Amino acid sequence: MVNYQIIKYRKLWLIISGSMVVLSILALSIWGLRAGLDFTGGSLLEVKMAGGQPTVTQVQNSLSGVGISSLVVQPTGNNSVILRFQETSQEKHLAVVDALSKMELAKGGMTEVRFESIGTSVGAELRSKSFWVMFLVLLVIILYISLAFNKVSKPVVSWKYGLIAIIALFHDIVITAGIFAILGHYFAVEVNTPFVVALLTVLGYSVHDTIIVFDRTRENLPKSRDSFADTVNHSLNQTFVRSINTTLTVLLSLFAVLIFGGSSVRDFVLALMVGVFCGAYSSLFVASPLLVYFEQWQRRK
Amino acid sequence: MKNQSKGLFSSKKAHLRFTLLLILIFAVISLLGSAGNYYNQFSNTLAKATHNVVILPKTKEIPFVLGLDLQGGTQLTYEANVANIPEADRSSSLEGVRDVIERRVNSTGVAEPVIQVNRSISGDYRVIVELAGVKNVNEAIKMIGETPLLEFKETAVATATPVKVGTSTAAAVDLQQTWKNTELTGKNLKSATLKFNPNDGTPEVALKFDEQGSTMFANITERNVNKPVAIVLDGYTISAPTVNEKIAGGEAVISGKFTVAEAKLLVQRLNTGALPVPITLIGQQTVEASLGQQSIDNSFKAGIVGFLLVALFMILYYRFPGLISVVCLGIYVMAVLAIFKIMPWWMTIVFLLSLFALFISVFRELKIFDGILSVGMFLIVFIFLGYYATTSVTITLAGVTGFILSIGMAVDANILIFERMKEELRAGKPLDIAIDEGFKRAWPSIRDGNTTTILACFVLMSFGTGLVKGFGATLFLGVSISMLSSIVITSSLMRVFVGKFLAKHPWWLGVKKINN
Repeated sequence: MVNYQIIKYRKLWLIISGSMVVLSILALSIWGLRAGLDFTGGSLLEVKMAGGQPTVTQVQNSLSGVGISSLVVQPTGNNSVILRFQETSQEKHLAVVDALSKMELAKGGMTEVRFESIGTSVGAELRSKSFWVMFLVLLVIILYISLAFNKVSKPVVSWKYGLIAIIALFHDIVITAGIFAILGHYFAVEVNTPFVVALLTVLGYSVHDTIIVFDRTRENLPKSRDSFADTVNHSLNQTFVRSINTTLTVLLSLFAVLIFGGSSVRDFVLALMVGVFCGAYSSLFVASPLLVYFEQWQRRK
Repeated sequence: MKNQSKGLFSSKKAHLRFTLLLILIFAVISLLGSAGNYYNQFSNTLAKATHNVVILPKTKEIPFVLGLDLQGGTQLTYEANVANIPEADRSSSLEGVRDVIERRVNSTGVAEPVIQVNRSISGDYRVIVELAGVKNVNEAIKMIGETPLLEFKETAVATATPVKVGTSTAAAVDLQQTWKNTELTGKNLKSATLKFNPNDGTPEVALKFDEQGSTMFANITERNVNKPVAIVLDGYTISAPTVNEKIAGGEAVISGKFTVAEAKLLVQRLNTGALPVPITLIGQQTVEASLGQQSIDNSFKAGIVGFLLVALFMILYYRFPGLISVVCLGIYVMAVLAIFKIMPWWMTIVFLLSLFALFISVFRELKIFDGILSVGMFLIVFIFLGYYATTSVTITLAGVTGFILSIGMAVDANILIFERMKEELRAGKPLDIAIDEGFKRAWPSIRDGNTTTILACFVLMSFGTGLVKGFGATLFLGVSISMLSSIVITSSLMRVFVGKFLAKHPWWLGVKKINN
């Protein structure tokens, strides 16, 4: 059986991860996430014209008299066009639909495929709710890990496993968010409630993955005659194939949704894929190396 | 250490046979529950092909409950302005709003509305109206929005000069008057009817109050004798007659300059309800049915492809055990789909009992039933499974994604077990022991790993909004059923096939050599 020297190069892995985290934080603080409709409030309208694909200018011209602000028009192909604007009242909605239906291309008929409007107050509320939920999930996970690992105390006490799992989590979430900050800046990818859901799922998944690697270490420690670092490396190798394969099956199923699932879930699935990948990476290359460092620091004291 | 069967079963074989029977029952119930329509079609075809010799009993076909984003529909979010309502009466007023909107929407014939009253974190009251199908949505919004707010007002200044009118004659409305609200509102209205004035034949609207309203109205008229009382609808004074005397009995007449049509409309609007609280539309989400159908088609395709990709990977990498895990995954998919629907009670009972019996049987056999963490988790998981089996889970687009994701995650437990098993085989253990050890040792990891995901799901489910809730529920069902089925079903099936063939052909297990 191959024996990958993961722990030996622990400095390298942590430098890679550390710089990814720093880059992500930079991206987040410079560009920030592009908040979508759910968090800013506003309206989204998708219409399909019977007569053909309308252009951005055509749509903008037809709406010049309606009086809506921050209008963004995005043709989606298939004779459809998505409009975003700030106003959320039913009157404006009807006025916009009315103006669009007077366009030349809509003569043969126009379907209102989708309409969403979210008041500003709801947006602000969703934002604060999202933070609370994240906090709650983290709390519950810390509690569970310290409970599940309470029998392991040598040579690293159980709460430190929990702390490391949380650091790994932080790593996954920050990098996922950072990637979305970059996507938001360059490709106008927006962040909505599904993104928060994806992050929460990643939280669960990442801890799951970390726990499985730690579990093996927990099992091997009492009977191992090797050094702590070697035992951790051995445990990593034992769970290595499993980690790769599990991540692969999850990514395969998500890949199917990414390709066939349609545009409305694409960003959601992308967030999940990035998060799952980070989660798998961090449980192998962040959590266990950190565990070895924790043990070293402890001995030095 | 060989497994010694104790108690219930005389031999290991009998125990295995019993477990297989349970798996069969579980699989059949899951199939009937999830794909009843396909089963019935099959039963018809079979009857035809065999000239009615083989007639399988029919099953009840249960449809999925689809969310508005999949079936097409509208969700409207209203905020109720409760500033003028005392804290204690707020929730009952909101119930009133709920009923009124329900009657309003029903009168347009849009479809059965689903109406919920929520309280946001910041303490605002929200009314969420869900309408399946999007025909006449704008009409429905108009109707809900127009629902009259009926108020009775008295003069704020006691020195107001009485206008010359009597209770039942036309109203001369003094717009300069300053009015203040009385305790009486449309909430206390029992019914409104169209009447014609016996003297001049003009249409009038007769109001009848409920018991509380009658007393209020009597009090108001008593303290306002020779003063006007205004009847205000949606902020417009429609009539402000001067009270001649105290009116007991809870009846009043509005006589404005109505046409018959106007009076009729007013009666209809008043009868379907006057809102006790003003509401404003703050959010709207409409999905056209064709877009919903497209989402269903897309998700279906994605689900099939996802399943096939995962299955292919498992079989190519793990060979024989991989094949077993795919069978298990198939049962898993059916079981989750079955639980999404409302199963008949007998199905629910058989479903849960067979799962529970399987779980007890296998866990006793493997002796991996350890400690409070496992017991606690299984208790919670079974309670929730029972709950979801008897109710339907509304399937949303996010929910479907959660489900497809869970297909990828479901094999995790299998992968853990198979890797462990291979390890034991490489360490030179005989096949049957390697299988048992694989399961036993993988269990704590599976338990701890899944528990964190399940805990995250619970938080998601309590998040409130429909989308997040649906995703949390589907992911929870996926993770918990996959954990149970992979442990229980895979392990039993694996042990059934332990025999001379596998022992002689280690290639099928993905190892080079097997010790005996």
